[in-house]
Amino acid sequence: MTAPGATTAWAGQPPAPGELRLITGDQPLSLAEHIERYGPAPLAGPGATALITEVDHAGLTGRGGGAFPAARKMRAVADASLRRGKVRSGTGSVVVANGSESEPASSKDEVLLSHAPHLVLDGITLSAAAVGADQAYLCLSPRNPAMARAVAAAVAERDQAGFSEPPVTLISTPDGYLSGQETALISALNGSHPLPTFIPPRPAERGVQRRPTLVQNVETLAHIALIARFGATWFREVGTAGAPGSALVTVTGCVARPGVREIPLGTPLGEVLRRSGALSGAQAVLTGGYFGTWLPLPAAWQVPVSEESMRAAGAALGPGVLAVLPGSACGLAETARVLGFLADNSARQCGPCRNGMPALADAMKQIAFGRPGHDVVGWIGQLSGLITSRGACHLPDGGAALARTALDVFAADLRAHLASGPCDRAYRPAALPIPTGRA
Amino acid sequence: MGSGVTGAGHVGAIIVTSSTPLWYATRATGLVALVLLTISMMLGLLSSVRFQRPEWPRFVTLGLHRNVTLLALGFTVMHVLTTVLDSFVSIPLADAFVPFISSYRPIWIGLGAIAFDLMIALVVTSLLRTRLGLRSWRLVHWSAYLCWPVAVLHGLGTGTDTPVRWVLALTACCVLAVAVLTIWRLALTWPDRPLAAVAGVVVLVLVLIAGGAWLRTGPLAPGWSHRSGTHSSQPGAAGRP
Amino acid sequence: MAVERPRQLELRVNPIACDAHGLCMELLPELISADLWGYPIIRSGPVPLRLQALARRAVADCPTLALLLTERQ
Repeated sequence: MTAPGATTAWAGQPPAPGELRLITGDQPLSLAEHIERYGPAPLAGPGATALITEVDHAGLTGRGGGAFPAARKMRAVADASLRRGKVRSGTGSVVVANGSESEPASSKDEVLLSHAPHLVLDGITLSAAAVGADQAYLCLSPRNPAMARAVAAAVAERDQAGFSEPPVTLISTPDGYLSGQETALISALNGSHPLPTFIPPRPAERGVQRRPTLVQNVETLAHIALIARFGATWFREVGTAGAPGSALVTVTGCVARPGVREIPLGTPLGEVLRRSGALSGAQAVLTGGYFGTWLPLPAAWQVPVSEESMRAAGAALGPGVLAVLPGSACGLAETARVLGFLADNSARQCGPCRNGMPALADAMKQIAFGRPGHDVVGWIGQLSGLITSRGACHLPDGGAALARTALDVFAADLRAHLASGPCDRAYRPAALPIPTGRA
Repeated sequence: MGSGVTGAGHVGAIIVTSSTPLWYATRATGLVALVLLTISMMLGLLSSVRFQRPEWPRFVTLGLHRNVTLLALGFTVMHVLTTVLDSFVSIPLADAFVPFISSYRPIWIGLGAIAFDLMIALVVTSLLRTRLGLRSWRLVHWSAYLCWPVAVLHGLGTGTDTPVRWVLALTACCVLAVAVLTIWRLALTWPDRPLAAVAGVVVLVLVLIAGGAWLRTGPLAPGWSHRSGTHSSQPGAAGRP
Repeated sequence: MAVERPRQLELRVNPIACDAHGLCMELLPELISADLWGYPIIRSGPVPLRLQALARRAVADCPTLALLLTERQ
């Protein structure tokens, strides 16, 4: 599926293994530069379900945190669309490109949209054709007006050049930690509260305006745009068999060169952190974001960065956040603060989470800062069991996993805290920044 | 059949009545239906306040509420049928469904029609609850708060037994029971806004006082049958115009 | 006379709609128990045949229609 040959040396050529695929420079690519670099998008018209097969063979999984096979999602929406009969104007399916990035520690979507908006927009157009969508929304984080302007400019460029099918509506995702969650985003687009909804119905069956809806992270769509051009075999040239392709990760915390990096999936964690200048004395890394998990350092140095490998190690990659904790911080204190943040930002719709998350945060705060109650560890275990898989979204699951891995990774600190109270490090300024107020 | 009507000047008035069994049946089924409807309201209110005891689980409240309501509807249907079949006064079947078209005490029969219509709507929507969805069902179910007082007013205004002491006492008990439970319900509706609950209770008490005042100047005062639209040959017509 | 294969049914609760009224656990203590805060914990697995009628009643009786009986996937 390579594009027809062009004049410049690497125009339209697939990026070689070792070359960056998604973000190729410091400056955002204009439409012309984008076409020069990657070649034109192979638009084949509506009903182009061959793309779904290609994405399936490529093994692309969602890059928004769920790691759900992209092709399976697309096929579900395409099937639902077919079941509703021929695509008439206003009744086809809908594509929602999710660039909300409500996770405070993540900035990969922001960077991607600032540098390669046309890849994302190509992905929207191509997947829309594959699933029979006649409408698309691109949801942006409200935190970066400059990025929003760049994206708007890119959309305008495409309109002028005649690539305006389907029309893409730019949306600023409402503030709120859960606003970028799949069903919450759809709820917001339907004019309701940006809070998760109960499934069924699945978005693929009934989402925006009760139409079959494909919600994909913007990075996933960018990969789709490349797979459409260069094929599944090319996509699998980097990564592992179980986790093919490349991914964007956000490395923050005590590293010399924090920021967003594109890495082949399966790269050992240690190598990723080393490239970002991980400072010596780092004691742990928080993977996946604020509702993610802790891994000990340097013990987890060899763990490959991919969802399946991380899960095998008891962690989760999620949206690719790697926040490194310095030795000078207290992991229990940091965890307590993050749990407090999660509890404050719960949707408060489901009883177990509404009751259990604040209790969990309080228990961890007791361990970190105050006088822990009798058998607080057992209490945390009980709470974690009570809130996991009992809500409409995965916030409580994330909180429980964060608490569990914290008590595991910081076991030595735990013993010290329980024996002789909070350590000095607990009172230092927070290493992991907690957004103030309801973020 | 009816006893004679005396003209002016006769000491005391003799109420015209029909002594057919149907006339007794109408009054009896009406009273029973009112009592059952009151019990249904009480059980519904108990459900709203989440009343629960180890010996009285919530599904008992709910099951009783359902069955008592169905029984109340059954007695109401009998009440309607005996009224319609009673040939002494012409009240066609339509009067039971369409309010205010009756020639006999139109307003008060009309209220009965409204209560009957609402009861049917409440029962039908509840039977189809899982299919209708919570929002629609709830919207209709709020009308229970309208149905019951309307039924009470219908009984007081239409009923020729209203001045009878034990009937009045029975009605008063029903009203008191529902009022008390409604106050309980109101207190729990706005747990963080006590002023709203107090306002609700005040409104309720005012309504009761107004009701009592109406009762004294209306059905319990002489001449009610004429003022409510009873013709001289119909049941409940007083000897004096 | 056709023999109807019993359907595999599963109980689920919509945690957003659930308001811990507690009727379901009264009717089906074999399958539903209360957590610390009165919310239902449903035993995983198909609903036994002998309890299916009760399960249907619990679904109909739920004050917020939060309890669902679905075909097991």
